Parts: sequence; C-alpha cells; structure tokens
Amino acid sequence: MHTLATAPATGRTWIDLDDFQSFIDAGGMVEPGDDMPGEYRDEVFRFIEFHANSELMGGLTERDWIPHAPGLRLKQIFLAKTQDEIGHAHLLYMVAADMGVKTRTEMLEDLFAGRSRFHNVFHYQAVTWADQIAIAYLVDAAAFASQRAVFAECTYGPYKRVLKRIVAEEGFHMRHGEEMLLRLATGTDTQRSMFQEALDRWWWPAVQLFGPDSDPDDPLLRWKIKSQRNEDLRAAYVQKYVPLLHGYGFTIPDPELHQDDDGTWHAGPIDWEPLKATMRMGGPDSKRRIDTAARNWADTAWVREALDRRGAGT
Amino acid sequence: MTYSPAVRDHLLAFADDEHLVGARHTSWIGLGPFLEEDLAFCSIAQDELGHGIGLYGLILDDDVELDAFALLRPAEDYRSCWLAELECTDWNDSLVRHWLYDRAEALRWEALAASPDPAAASLALRAQREESFHLAHAEQFMSRIAGTDSTGRIADSVRRLAPIAAGIWDPTATEDDVLAEGFVTTSSAQLAARWNDLIRADLARWGIDVDWDDAGVVGAQQHRTQRSDGFAAFHADLQRVLAVDTSATW
Repeated sequence: MHTLATAPATGRTWIDLDDFQSFIDAGGMVEPGDDMPGEYRDEVFRFIEFHANSELMGGLTERDWIPHAPGLRLKQIFLAKTQDEIGHAHLLYMVAADMGVKTRTEMLEDLFAGRSRFHNVFHYQAVTWADQIAIAYLVDAAAFASQRAVFAECTYGPYKRVLKRIVAEEGFHMRHGEEMLLRLATGTDTQRSMFQEALDRWWWPAVQLFGPDSDPDDPLLRWKIKSQRNEDLRAAYVQKYVPLLHGYGFTIPDPELHQDDDGTWHAGPIDWEPLKATMRMGGPDSKRRIDTAARNWADTAWVREALDRRGAGT
Repeated sequence: MTYSPAVRDHLLAFADDEHLVGARHTSWIGLGPFLEEDLAFCSIAQDELGHGIGLYGLILDDDVELDAFALLRPAEDYRSCWLAELECTDWNDSLVRHWLYDRAEALRWEALAASPDPAAASLALRAQREESFHLAHAEQFMSRIAGTDSTGRIADSVRRLAPIAAGIWDPTATEDDVLAEGFVTTSSAQLAARWNDLIRADLARWGIDVDWDDAGVVGAQQHRTQRSDGFAAFHADLQRVLAVDTSATW
C-alpha cells in the first residue's frame, strides 16, 4: 500500500527521448525521483545553477551601495531586497544540488574560481547611487520578465515551485525600482543627470540580459523549461521600457532605436561579442567581484570547518 | 514627546548605537561564511536599524528630518559607543561584537521597558521580541563554534573587543538626572555589572578561557562625546549619497 509516509520505490521512466518528449508535450512535470534523461538533467541543472549564481552575484552587485544609502529606511529596504536575492540563490542552489550533479559547495567553489557563469549584468559596477536605481528599475524588470517566462511552463517541479516565490518577490523589486526611479526622475537636476548617466551605462546590459536569439532547436524550449524565445522577451522589454523612459524625459543610448508606423519600438543591432567576453569573466567588474567573493569564501573557511567539526562531534 | 535634555541624550546614545551597529552589520551582506548566515545577519542588521529609527523617532521634533539628523550631524554630536562604530573586517570580530553588543542591548531594552514613559516602554517591548532572536542567534552561533575553533580567532576577538564593548556602559554626562527624573531606574553601572557576569558565564559555558585588560575605553569616550579613530571615514561613507544634494528627496 502506498501512503503519504512512504516514498515511491522508483520514479517514472521513459523508453527514450521521444517518449520523454511526449510526456512533456502532454503537460508532464518531472520530479527529482524520476529517472529523467541525462540530457534533460544536465541542461536543467546548468540552467538552474546559472540562475542561482546570478541571484548571488546580483546581491553582491547591489551590496556596494547599501552602506551609502541616503536614509535609514532606504538602507533597510535595499538590505531586504538584497536579502531576497541571496535567499533566491539559497533556494536555487538547494534545488540544483538535489539533481545530484554537484553539491552546493561545489557550485559555489566553481563560481568563485571563475569556472561557472552568471548573468552579464552582474559583471558591471554600480558607479553611483543612480546605478543602484538603474539596476532596480531596468535589471530587476528584465530579470522579472525572464523568470516569469520560465515559471509560465517549467516542467521541472522543484524549480517551478521555487520560482513561484521568486517571481512574486521580484515583482516587488520591480515596483520598488519604479518608485525609486520616480524619485530621481521628478527630483533635482543633479538627480536627473545622475540617472541619465546610469541609464547610459545600464541600458545595453539590461537589454542583453535576455541573451542572443534562441537557437531554432533550443532544448530548454523544447522541454518547456523556457516558454518564450530570448528575442521575443527582449522585444517586449524594449517595447515597454522605451516609452516609459522617454516619458520621464530620459534619452535611450541607442542611436538606431526607431519606431515602426504601428508604434512598435525596435532597438538597434546588438554586437554580442562584448557580451560573450563579459560572460567569460571579462566584464568591467568581473574580476573584482569574483575576487572579493573568493577571498571572503577562503577567509571564512575556518567557520565552516569549525561547524563541520561540531557536526561530526570532534 | 518632549523630553528633558538629559533623557534626550540618554535615548540619543541608544539610538546612535543601534543605528551604527546596524549600519556596520550591513557590510557583511553577501559575504557571510555561508548563505544561511548571510540571511540571518541581514535580518539582524535591518532590525537594529529599525530600533535606531524608533529611538530617533522618540526624540526628534516633528520638523526635524530623520535621515538628515541620523546621517548629517557633526561627528561631535553623536553619542555612540566605540563598539558600535568599530569596523569589523573579520567575521570572528563581527560575530563576537554581535554577541557582546546584543548581550548588552537586551539589558538596555529591559531597563527601558520598565520606564514609566509609555512611548519608550512600548518601543522597548516591541524591540525585546526581536532582540530575543538576535541574542539566541549570537549565543547559538558562539556556543557551536567556540569549542571547535582550533584557530583561536574567537578567543582573540573576545580579548580585543571585550574592553571596547565595556564602553557601551559609559553613561552620558547627565545620566544622574535621568535616574533622578525616574525615566529609568537602573544605572549604566548596574547594567554593566550584570552584563559582565553574563558574558563571563557564557565564556565559561563555552570553554573559552580568556581574560582582558581594561583598555580605558570608558574613560576615553568621555561620556560618549569622543568618536573612535575610524569614525570619520565611516561617517563620510554613511552620508556619501545624501551629501551629493542635500536639497533632494532620495
């Protein structure tokens, strides 16, 4: 007899990839105990690890300006937001670790050694407080759109369940970014000038966050981890944010940005080579960010070791 | 609420301590020894900042803007203790500061909760609920790591920071007036004695056998009117954005 207290003896199995695809196409949800195809496990693990790394490195990007927050409540708010990002990383690393490919420690150590990747936007430095706002307004919105598109289908059960919380919190972050932008946009000349300079730095990285056009046979689309192609998400983002930023009187740093007769905005052509270099840890702030995290990880190893000894009773 | 200058100074000292220790804790966001600790320490930092906001709220007149007061005052107008101002660049220092400070903070809130002033007592009761978690976190972390830290870092931090932490109990110059008014009934010296017993009992329970010399911090703080060596840089960091345009709403 199967009861709630008894785990299934074996998970579901599939004869081959076609059989698995039929399961996915019929709306099936894969669970950790299933005997999922190795190709699916590897792709989904890599995607979740990338997401987890990006959440953690996003938190590290935003931490730089928290000590300088221009107010106590703002400091609390930005702390809470950064805490959310690190909390997302925490959840995602657990989901990824349960896939049995790498442990959480292995994932973190790969990240700090530059062996694994994270989103392009977190290779850049927040130069002023306005950059912090540009991240909150532009980057959080792009991340929200991207994650919501994954949540929409997402055939890997644990990931979808965690994304429900992440997407909800990212929605708050996006609203927070809008409120913060409004303060600068309706503020003094100094504030508006600061934000324009930040927009000049962050517009293209935010647009590039969605990645190059999806491959025609992207397995993440085929297996319904992603629900939308990268180029479609990017186009929707441009369509939404160009009029908003223009409405606030800011200039988009894209000389070839144009609008069709039907009102659709189109960004200029994107040179993806700098993005690829950035993703290989060649971004403007990649080295500093990774070095800081890696040094701290090494400096605090004694804490983890002491707690491990405690756990082992030695 | 209108308080006497003595009570105002007494509350300001606590407010500045809470604000600055919370601000110092923020430097660890994203850099804790493991993710769970990152999340816990971040919550504690937010709570301490919230306590600071609540205490400033008791003493600020309606026409005084909180952030300008908290961040843009001249250094000599702060009444913080040196432990709250201290930059802890090593995790062991930050953890030990957390334990020493929160051991004291719990006693300070307890004293304020007994105040006949309803606004102060109400704030203290709310803060005590959060503080119980902070103290539990500090005690549990210290108890788990103290006996297994083969590097001696924790003991070194206790030896260096305990004398600085004693400066928490440096009273404002007019504390006698605060007691005479009956705003609180327990002196800093009485709380210091209890704190000293508590931290020594903790250390004995955890098997940390260290002693320390009086570094003279209490006297050097001169009733909390003197700032520590690193304060100027810390203060500049705190006000870096606000000072860009003091007429702006950020």
